[in-house]
Amino acid sequence: MLKLRKVLSLIRYLSIIFICLLCIIPFGVLLILSLNTPKRVFYEGNIFIPDFYFLNYLEGWIKSNIGNAMINSAVITIGALLLIVVLASMAAYTIARFNYKFNKLIFAILISCMMIPGIINTVPLYTLMIDIHAINTLWGMALVCATNALPQSVFVFSGYIRSLPIEMEESAIIDGCSWYTAYWKIIFPLLKPAISAIVILNGFGIWNNYSQAVFFLQDSKKHNVPQALSVYFQQFAGAKWNLMAATAVIAIIPVIVVFMIFQKNLMKGLTDGALKG
Amino acid sequence: MHKTKIGLHTFMAIPAFALFSLFFLYPLAKGIGMSLTDWDGISAAKFIGLANFKEFFQDDRAINDIRTTLLFALGSAPLLNIFGLIYALLMDSKFKAKGIARMIIYLPAVISPLIMGYIWYLLLQPGRGFIYHVLDNMGHGELFGNWLGTYSTSMIVLVLVNVWQYAGMTMVVYLAGLQAIPGELYEAAKMDGASFNKRLRYITLPLLTPSIRINIVTNIIGSLSVFDIVMSLTAGGPGYATETLSIYIMRMCYGSKTGYSTAVAIIMFFIILIPVIAAMRLTRAKSEY
Repeated sequence: MLKLRKVLSLIRYLSIIFICLLCIIPFGVLLILSLNTPKRVFYEGNIFIPDFYFLNYLEGWIKSNIGNAMINSAVITIGALLLIVVLASMAAYTIARFNYKFNKLIFAILISCMMIPGIINTVPLYTLMIDIHAINTLWGMALVCATNALPQSVFVFSGYIRSLPIEMEESAIIDGCSWYTAYWKIIFPLLKPAISAIVILNGFGIWNNYSQAVFFLQDSKKHNVPQALSVYFQQFAGAKWNLMAATAVIAIIPVIVVFMIFQKNLMKGLTDGALKG
Repeated sequence: MHKTKIGLHTFMAIPAFALFSLFFLYPLAKGIGMSLTDWDGISAAKFIGLANFKEFFQDDRAINDIRTTLLFALGSAPLLNIFGLIYALLMDSKFKAKGIARMIIYLPAVISPLIMGYIWYLLLQPGRGFIYHVLDNMGHGELFGNWLGTYSTSMIVLVLVNVWQYAGMTMVVYLAGLQAIPGELYEAAKMDGASFNKRLRYITLPLLTPSIRINIVTNIIGSLSVFDIVMSLTAGGPGYATETLSIYIMRMCYGSKTGYSTAVAIIMFFIILIPVIAAMRLTRAKSEY
């Protein structure tokens, strides 16, 4: 019995190691490709030892639009996240605390739209963006990304606010504070766990948004990271693997760094946020 | 819930709702109107009734795109859940480096699926890619063909790359669900001599229903609206074989068939809605038991 258990746990460890390798090998190959000289055929010699040709990174950086695109992606992501946190938490507060009929109606509308993916209304949205001169602007894209995330965010925030006791606000009201001020002074600071869940659940998706960026960010000066990369790859595809790989590495480094820093919060945010949904 | 005088707090949902109305509800309504016209994006639109919908169902390319989209989802959604659950069951115990393992398995899910698609595109190159090389070293290079060159193999590749990328995401949701199951239940079941299979069937799976529901619904929506990885791996090719509905919408919109593309979006809406409602119904029935 004891022996069987040991064998089973060994199999478990080996499987986990295998899965981890499966997840990480493509990144390793990418790294090797990015360090090979342009002349090298990938499988000459020992494939695990690249040429350490760092000029690929310089050339990829210069020839692609990736640096500018990262700034654009950062502006869009930060702007959209700020909007989501402020607007969704405010809405969630009044929905959670006050029984107005239109609050109920707004909540019902948001929840029923939660299941509709953005691609469904992208074309009419595209014509609207042209009408209001939001096409090829970072603020326009940020507004679109914020809107995508609103229903789920209001849902998570309102669930969280309902779990907070109302007594603190009530005593502030007795002291002459308005509900609106009480929200910002008392409730908003308590929302940290919910905010980190929302930021994490949506941040990567906004940074990586491609299906809508294709429509709304066509001007190469306004490209976000996926757009810039796809344009660059379509010009070079199949020919210069070393440059493609180096640019891809440049593009994923910020994401991996942010992920490493926040991964503990991420797991907590995902589990908290997900299970409440 | 509170009865109180009207004040700023009364209107706190208005900014969010205004944004949502302008950027979501209004385009949604506008799209329904546009779908009934022959608008090409520039000249004046003419009302043509349901002709766009009729055209859609008579267009071979559109029917093929529905088939591709459904096949992709039929492969992806179940596999993501099966692998996510297996990963979670493997990971659901205390061991050294658990945090690191979880992080590594989740890592692909935070990278842009477009970039992930390009990376796999490089790995899968016939005659030159990493996978060919591995097979060749094992003496089975002949097993490797141009997998992105035919419909059936490229569909399999698309599904597998998608599962590879997002299994970590379903795993995390299942892990959270597993942690919520009280350990005493398993102890009691073990005392009664219940086997692993029985414990899985009568304790784990029923109590995991909320996680199963979240994962299935998210994966149905995600895989039916897939866009990025198809764009980078096959760009819808060979020909239009692996084109999905979301790519078709974009191409029709760019192809000056703006009205028609909104009609496709409405059809796609129902293609997503029906399985989502079915999945919610099914998992609801189970959670009562």
